[in-house]
Amino acid sequence: MLEIKNIYKYFGSHQVLKGISTEIEHGQVVSVIGASGSGKSTLLRCMNLLEHPTFGEVWMEGKLLTPVDPYLHFDVIRASKTYSKLISEGMSDDDAIAKIKKEDLLHEKYNAEGKKYRALMKKIYDENHIDINIARQKMGMVFQQFNLFNNKSVIENIMLAPVKIGIAEYRAAVRRNNRIRLSNVFRKDKKPLIGLPDDPSAVKLKAEENARALLKRIGLSDTANQYPSTLSGGQKQRIAIARALAMNPDVMLFDEPTSALDPEMVGEVLDLINDLVKSGMTCVIVTHEMGFAREVSDRVLFIDGGVIAEQGTPEQLFNNPQNPRAAEFLSKVLR
Amino acid sequence: MTIGSILTDMVKIFIKYWDVFVLQGIMYTLLLAAIAVLCGTVIGALLAFGRMSRFKVLRAIIIAFVEVMRGTPALLQLYVGYFLVPMLIPDMNTMPSQLMAFICVAVALTFNTAAYVSEIIRSGIEAVDKGQTEAARSLGLNNSTTMVSIVLPQAVKNILPALGNEFITDIKQTSLASTFFVGELMTSYKTVVGITYNSLSTLFVIGVLYFIMNLILSKGLKFAEKRMKAHA
Ligand SMILES: Nc1ncnc2c1ncn2[C@@H]1O[C@H](COP(=O)(O)OP(=O)(O)O)[C@@H](O)[C@H]1O
Ligand SMILES: [Mg+2]
Repeated sequence: MLEIKNIYKYFGSHQVLKGISTEIEHGQVVSVIGASGSGKSTLLRCMNLLEHPTFGEVWMEGKLLTPVDPYLHFDVIRASKTYSKLISEGMSDDDAIAKIKKEDLLHEKYNAEGKKYRALMKKIYDENHIDINIARQKMGMVFQQFNLFNNKSVIENIMLAPVKIGIAEYRAAVRRNNRIRLSNVFRKDKKPLIGLPDDPSAVKLKAEENARALLKRIGLSDTANQYPSTLSGGQKQRIAIARALAMNPDVMLFDEPTSALDPEMVGEVLDLINDLVKSGMTCVIVTHEMGFAREVSDRVLFIDGGVIAEQGTPEQLFNNPQNPRAAEFLSKVLR
Repeated sequence: MTIGSILTDMVKIFIKYWDVFVLQGIMYTLLLAAIAVLCGTVIGALLAFGRMSRFKVLRAIIIAFVEVMRGTPALLQLYVGYFLVPMLIPDMNTMPSQLMAFICVAVALTFNTAAYVSEIIRSGIEAVDKGQTEAARSLGLNNSTTMVSIVLPQAVKNILPALGNEFITDIKQTSLASTFFVGELMTSYKTVVGITYNSLSTLFVIGVLYFIMNLILSKGLKFAEKRMKAHA
C-alpha cells in the first residue's frame, strides 16, 4: 500500500536519513520508535512529501509520489552515458552499477547522460506518477502540535478539505464537459459527456453530515461551533484525527500524537487511535508510548543513525532486541 | 516671549487661517497619505507575493527594490519622483504645476509605502504557524487554496495593525512634500508664515493638528484591533 524505497534526507550537510526502505501493507500497523532527533518525524514527513527526500522513491498504491530515482532502476543506470563509459573501460556490469551508485554519478548531470537515459526517466515518471495533492487526500496526517486551523470552527476544520476538494472536482468535471461539447461541434462521432460528481451544495451537505457523524464518533458533538483555542489538548487532537478521517484516508500517519498532551489526556487520544486500528485502518505511528506501540503494532521499526537499526514484531523488539543501541534505548524508556 | 503669548498667537493664527490649515492642509495631507497607503498596499501585496514566488530573478529584483527604498531617504525618493515621473509621462507637463507636483509626490510616496508594506505583508504571512500550512497540505489542499482559506485570514490579523501604523507614518511623511509646495499641512505652514512671520506659533499650530490626526487614527486602530481580537 505504502512503500518507501531507499529514502535519504539531507538538511544541508546534515544527513538525517541514510537509506530507509520499508513497505506498509494494507491494514498493517507499524510503529516507529527511536531517540529524539533520530529522524522519526522526518521519515514520516517524507512519506507524504511534507519533506522531499533527497534520494529514494515513495510509492502509494502502485503510484509514484516522488521524482524517479535513477539508482533504483537498473535499466535507467544502464541507459546512462556514464555507465557506457565505464563498461567501455572494461568494467563489469555489477561493478559499474555499484560504482555509479556509490559515487552518486548520475544526479548532478541529468542532461549529460544522454537522450536514452532521459527518455527512460521520463517514461517511468509518466507511467507511474500521481499528483501529490491527490495522493495526500488518501494519507491522513496527525501532528504532535495538532495544527487545527485557528481561524475555523471545529466543524469547519473537519469539513474544509472535503468541501474544497469536492467543489474543485466538480468544477474540473464541468470544465472538461465544456471542452468535450466544444470539440463535439466539429466531430461526426460525438464524444459522450462524463458524469458529473456531486454539485457544490451536495458536497457541502454530505461533508457536514459526515463531519457531524465523526464528531459523534469521537464524542465531541457539542464542540462543533467552538474555535480551537477554547479546547483542551486532548479534544484538539481527537478533532485533528477526525479532520484527517473526513477525507476517508487509506492510511493514517501519526507523529507523536500524544507527546504534547497533559498526562490525563493521553488516554482518550490513544483510545481513539486504538479504535481506528481495530476498524482495520492502516497506520504508521511515531510514538514514545512504548506500551501502546507494543499493544497495537504488527511491526515496530527502531530508527538509529539514519537507518532502520532493527525491526520486528513488538515481542521480538521489546523482549529480545538484537541491536545494542535498540537494547540501550529500550532499557532507558521501559524503565 | 512667554508661553501665554505663544498660545494666544496660536489661537489667533488658527482662527485667521483655519481654512488654509484645515480645508487645504489637512485635506491634502490625508489625501496624499490615503493614496500612498491604498495604492502602496496593493503594490506592496504584489511585491510580497512576488518575493515569495519561485521565480528567482523576480525575487532578486524585488529584494533589491525594497532594500533601496528602505535604505535611502524618503525626501530623496520624492525628488526622484518629482523629476522622473514627468520624464516618463511627458503629457504631464501640460498640467498645472501644483497638480503635477502632487501626482509626482503621490507616486513616490506610494512606492516608498509599497516597499515597507511588502515587508509587513511578508512577515505577517511568515508569522503564521507553519503547522497550519502543513496540516492543510497534508489533507490534499493545494498551495493556493491553503493560502486563501487558511494562511491569509490569519495573516491579516498580523498585517492590519502594522498597516495602520504605516498610515500614521505616511501622514507624518507627507510633510516632506512641502518641499514641492503640493498644498499639504506643512505647505500651509509655509504659506501662513509668509504672511505672519511668526514661525514658532504657526509650527505649533500644525504640530497640534498633526498630533490630533494621528491620535484619532491610532485610537481608532486600537479600537478596531480590539474588536478583531474579540471576533477571532
Ligand atoms: N527542516 C529542517 N531543517 C534542518 N534540520 C532539520 C529539519 N527538520 C529536522 N531537522 C533535523 O533532523 C534531525 C531529525 O529530526 P526529527 O526527524 O524531527 O527527529 P525525531 O522526530 O526523531 O525527534 C534533527 O537533528 C533535526 O534537527
Ligand atoms: Mg519528531
